Formats: sequence, C-alpha cells, structure tokens
Amino acid sequence: MFIGTEKLTHTYMPGTPFANEALKEVTFQLKKGEIALVIGPSGSGKSTLIQHLNGLLKPTSGQVLFEGRTVGSDKAELLKLRKRIGLVFQMPEEQFFSETVYDEVAFAPRNLGFAENEVQTSVTGALQEVGLDPDALLDRHPFQLSSGQKRLVALAAVLSFKPEVLILDEPTAGLDSFSRANLFNLLAVLNRNTGLTILICTHHLDEAAALAETVFVLKQGRLVLNGPTSEIFSKREQLHKLGLGLPAVTEIMYWLAEEGLDVRTDIYTLEGARQEINKLKGRQEK
Amino acid sequence: MVNRSEIMIEAKDLVYHYPGEEEPSSPALSGINLAVNRGEYLALLGPNGSGKTTLMKLFNALLAPSEGEVRVEGISTIDEGRITEIRRYCGMIFQNPDNQLVATTVEEDIAFGLENLALPPAEIRKRVIDVARLLGLEHLLLQPPHLLSGGEKQRVAIAGVLAMRPHCILMDEPTAMLDPAGRRDVLKTVQGLNREQGIAVVHVTHFPEEAVFADRVIILNQGRLVRQGPPENVLSDLPLLHSFGLQGNAVVELAALLREDGFDLPPQLIHSRELVHYLCLSERKS
Repeated sequence: MFIGTEKLTHTYMPGTPFANEALKEVTFQLKKGEIALVIGPSGSGKSTLIQHLNGLLKPTSGQVLFEGRTVGSDKAELLKLRKRIGLVFQMPEEQFFSETVYDEVAFAPRNLGFAENEVQTSVTGALQEVGLDPDALLDRHPFQLSSGQKRLVALAAVLSFKPEVLILDEPTAGLDSFSRANLFNLLAVLNRNTGLTILICTHHLDEAAALAETVFVLKQGRLVLNGPTSEIFSKREQLHKLGLGLPAVTEIMYWLAEEGLDVRTDIYTLEGARQEINKLKGRQEK
Repeated sequence: MVNRSEIMIEAKDLVYHYPGEEEPSSPALSGINLAVNRGEYLALLGPNGSGKTTLMKLFNALLAPSEGEVRVEGISTIDEGRITEIRRYCGMIFQNPDNQLVATTVEEDIAFGLENLALPPAEIRKRVIDVARLLGLEHLLLQPPHLLSGGEKQRVAIAGVLAMRPHCILMDEPTAMLDPAGRRDVLKTVQGLNREQGIAVVHVTHFPEEAVFADRVIILNQGRLVRQGPPENVLSDLPLLHSFGLQGNAVVELAALLREDGFDLPPQLIHSRELVHYLCLSERKS
C-alpha cells in the first residue's frame, strides 16, 4: 500500500448541535502508480477525504497512512506529507494571486525552500509537463490566459514541487470538451511516464472512466463500493440508486444488451464500443 | 398562451470589447444578430473563451454593448433607469450556486429579490411559497442554504429568480458543479418551467447532451455566432463541431464511427434511444 486510510472518521463542528459526521470509518488503499476515481453524490465526503490525504484536516478518529506508516499530526510531519502529495482544488484558477505565470507556479517550490535556480528549473519543467510553452507564458498575467490554459497553469503549480501523488477535485469543471480531453490525456501521460499516483474526484465519468483502474464510491460518508473499474460499473442498478450514473457509452452498451444484442457492457470508450458493436457483424457473417 | 413568434430578447449588430483589452481588433463578441423568442429554449455551445458568458451578461444588462444594441422586451439595456425592470424579465443562474445564495435560510434567500422590489410582505410570502411548492423545496424553507446538496442549492437559486416572475431564465453552465442526480434534477426543473409556464430559457453548456432537448442550438466561436438551428441539425454536424474543438455527445460520436464501418444509420441521430433502435433494427434484418 502506498497511501490510504484506516477507519478514518471526520466530524465537523464536534460537540455542537451542528456536528456533522462527514466520514465514517473509511478504509481504503491506493497502490503506487495507480489511477483511481472517487465518485459519490454531492455531500458524500469526497472533498473531506482528499483534504485528509494532504494533511489539511486532522482525523477525528482513525488514521491516514502513507507508505505503510501512520501519518502523525505534528507540523513537521504534515509538511513532509504536503511536499509529497499535491492537491489540485476545484476551480483552482480562482485562487490565483500572482502577477505573472512564473510567480504563480514558483509559489510552492519557493515556499518549500527550493533555491532560486531550482525554482526556475522546476517552473519551466512543470509548464512543459502540462504542455504549455514557458517562453510564451512566463511573463504573462495569469488572468490573461484562456480557461483551459489557466487550469493547466494551476496544475503546473502543483507539479512544480514534484509530488508523488496527485489528487484532483473535479478537475474539468467549467472546461470545454477539447480542454477536458486534453487534461485527461495529460494525466494519463504523466502517470505512464513518471509513475505518478493519481486520485480523481469527479462527477463526469465520460472521460475519466477509461483512465482508472480502481473506483471508490462514497455515500453519506461511508465507502460503499470499492474495486476495479469494470467491477464497479457492472453494478449499474446500485449506482443508479445512489444517484450516480455510468459513462454515456457504457449506458448505450447496457441498452443494447437489454434489447437482446450480444454485446459486452464493460466498455468505457467510443473506440471500445465501436469494436464491440462491429463484432455483431462478424457474428452474422459466420 | 405564449406567442412563440414574438421576440423577447434581441441583439442587433452587437459588438463587445472588454475594457483595457490589448487588441481591440479581437473583441469578445462581434457581429451578433440574434433573437430569443417568447417561450423558446435556446442552448448555447462554444469553446472556452468564445463569448458565451459575455453574451449572457449583455442580455442581463450586467454589461453594456460597445456597439450595436440589446433589447429585452423592447427595452434597450443601456436605458439605465429601466435596468431593474430588465433584470426582472431576465433572471440569471450562475455556474456555482454558492456564489448566488446570500441569506441564512432558503425562505429568505428566495425572498431576497422580492424584498428589493419592496413588495408587501403578504405578497412576498405568497410568491415564496408558490415557487417553493412548484420546485419541491417546501420542506427546505427553514434550512440554511449551505447545508443543502448541490442540486438543491441550484434549485433554490432558480426559485429566487422564478419568484420575480421572469419571462426568461439565463443559465450559465448551471450543472457544472453538480452530481449526476443534481444535474438531472435541475435540467428537469428547467425543462418543466419552460414547457409548462412558457418561460424562455437560454442555457450555456459545455455538454452537448444537455442541448438535445432545446428548441434551437447556437454555436459561438471566437466571439461570432457561427451556426444555429434545431438540435438534430447542429449537434449531429460533427465536422463543424470538431472544427471548433468541440466534441459531439457520445451518441453522435459513436454513430459517426459506426457509419464509417458500414452500419446503415440515418443522419441526425442525437438521442441514445434512436441509436439503440437502429442498431437493433439492422441486427434483426440480417
């Protein structure tokens, strides 16, 4: 196990009439180099969970584990955790505060005490990693960029300190289809080339499902389903009851199967659906 | 009865430059001629930065045209004395309901706009209860908005707009922050208001599958209106969508791949049910 939790419980405003148990004994594990999704209705505890993985919240009970060890709650240890686990919030560009793209991306490495020449190489490196041209952008004001570029700069700002785990909260909210596809491709490439472990919280499965090996499903603070992608998306009825859906192509495959066509339903990409439907022709000709 | 041939909002030779824009040669919007009819459901698609949000703000008199004009119910949006009236006719729903909810209870939030109009308390109360009943929010009236689910919050925002008895609702990516159940909930609510109350809707979205039920689909690219027509014409025109960096919905994309492979599918397929129907048909024929 690389990172995970053990019976993690989190109560907001404990001991008050507003006490709200946002996570209830959540135990899960992520392997090194894995891409996983966390899905669940609004208010199911997704954001609370990922804030724990980054040491932004302290468990009410239970623990966060990293490399097999319990993460302590003293400042030094939490700082170490934050250096190794990068968190990209929802709409991260809304938190931009620097005058230039350079300063924005350099913020974390500077804060973590990198020497200025190291800061420079990490900024350029991170921008290149997300497919942006450092020469063209370094001196630009972040607010002058397009929405897609801003999101990529926000991602570069986290990649700049070379985290080993990248956690993203609804990373494509507000992006057009081109930027959505681009961002997910980028995550796949980062994972393949650098072995980056990635955890994505999202409501939009169309692009994300094909990327993930594992899916975790939260409901009212509890981990209700947990397993390989194909296993989780085979529980269609249960997901619908939870108010969740399937990727649109998967839903089409289910409808075809319900009409009696002999097709697989563990299909998450257009190309996969195309091949599967084409097999029908092959069968007729035989 | 709603007269659907009557114009409600009209943009004529509309141009908009953001102040301080570096190159006035590339305005945020230019040459826009567009009329929204009474009771019409209009979906607005386009890549990030194409001017969708800017157009909505011009419709709502949040921005004034640089050139040309916008009229709402015949009133020019630069007629400062009548801006309140325009905003009452055209209510706006933003991407993130958290940015729009201001009061400590749902009831007060729905009443906020009405109180600003200085309506008598009895009238305010009646309207709040009426819209809450219509949108199924009665049981939530005394709840603080921040404790609601995303879908519920967005419906409260819609209720606040609806209480003003608008002739049109402008929605800027209203489902971007919502889970699948919340998305369905909000779309159903708005479609219901459009069909049953004849309220016009202008719906900006990055998801073509949300545009399939519109009366008319408009595509913006680089500040220009590049295509408009019924959803089955516009949303099925993949070469056009791709040329603007947009993707079709899963049905349209999959149907295009299958046609390449020799499947006999009619053009203009945009609904999953239709695709499933035709695939089953071709399977049974053989």
